[in-house]
Amino acid sequence: MNQIDSLLERPKAYCNIDGVSELSVGVMTLTFALIQWVQVHTTRNSAWHKSTWFIFMGMVAIIHYGSKAIKEHITYPRTGYVEYPKSTQRLSAPLAAAIAVVIVAGLSVAVRSYWDLSMPVSFMGLLFAVIYARGFARTVAWKWAMFGILAAGSLVIAVLPVDVMGILAKDSWVPGVLSARATGVFWLTLMLSGVTFLVSGAITFWLYLRHTQAPAQ
Amino acid sequence: MNPQVRNIAELDRVIHEPGRLMVVALLFAVERADFLYLQTETGLNKGTLSSHLSRLEEEGYVEVTKGYRGKVPQTLLCLTPAGRKAFEQYRKKMRAAL
Repeated sequence: MNQIDSLLERPKAYCNIDGVSELSVGVMTLTFALIQWVQVHTTRNSAWHKSTWFIFMGMVAIIHYGSKAIKEHITYPRTGYVEYPKSTQRLSAPLAAAIAVVIVAGLSVAVRSYWDLSMPVSFMGLLFAVIYARGFARTVAWKWAMFGILAAGSLVIAVLPVDVMGILAKDSWVPGVLSARATGVFWLTLMLSGVTFLVSGAITFWLYLRHTQAPAQ
Repeated sequence: MNPQVRNIAELDRVIHEPGRLMVVALLFAVERADFLYLQTETGLNKGTLSSHLSRLEEEGYVEVTKGYRGKVPQTLLCLTPAGRKAFEQYRKKMRAAL
């Protein structure tokens, strides 16, 4: 029965056989890091500060069309096409949107109430590590090493001294409004997670290209 | 007859064959998949996979649609409602038998 159950899980794992899901998360996380950098280091009225919406839209377009292009031109011709049940697609999109809304709303409330976010933000990296372990590392042994790097890196970031973490927010408008430490931790965690997901996705993609080839027609 | 033995005796033989069981289990988890995907995942050769698919189609468990993806011919496969029901029954009986 276990073998049948594992067969039922295979199509889910196939979704990331080419590393596209990891690459997408990596691009998304690094874009958020870029947006945060731009927001912190530009004045609130500058054009750069207001351009973050375009950066976000650019990211969405890159992820959407990039994933589609890789699947259409590389994955499907090499190892086949799979269409997933509509019910899971219908459920996952609103669920992701709901989680995003809750997080954004929570952050807005926290910022408006001048709560000190240093502590919870310090452990945000561990959340990324858990997501990575559950979503990607379970299927392949070498990805546990990437999980280790992500988890250890997150813990190091969490214990870095305030002066180091505050460098990011130096000479910006942040210290007057937000905790410089929280801003630094948030940015470093996004960078670490983004790079880890991107590297992991790139290795997966490279291994996929190396071990597969399109069948002769 | 012992109920466990009866469950084994009542197993759907069309699905119980290992090659077809792999195909049905893979298709159960997706909406549709193409021939190449099933070949990659099962490791069966074209001829063997084709014959299993023909048997499943004959039984009304699998629906085969031939078409094109761009200029490349593509054979799409999906489980019919009868195929889904048969696989669920098969799993239930296997669980009871083991």
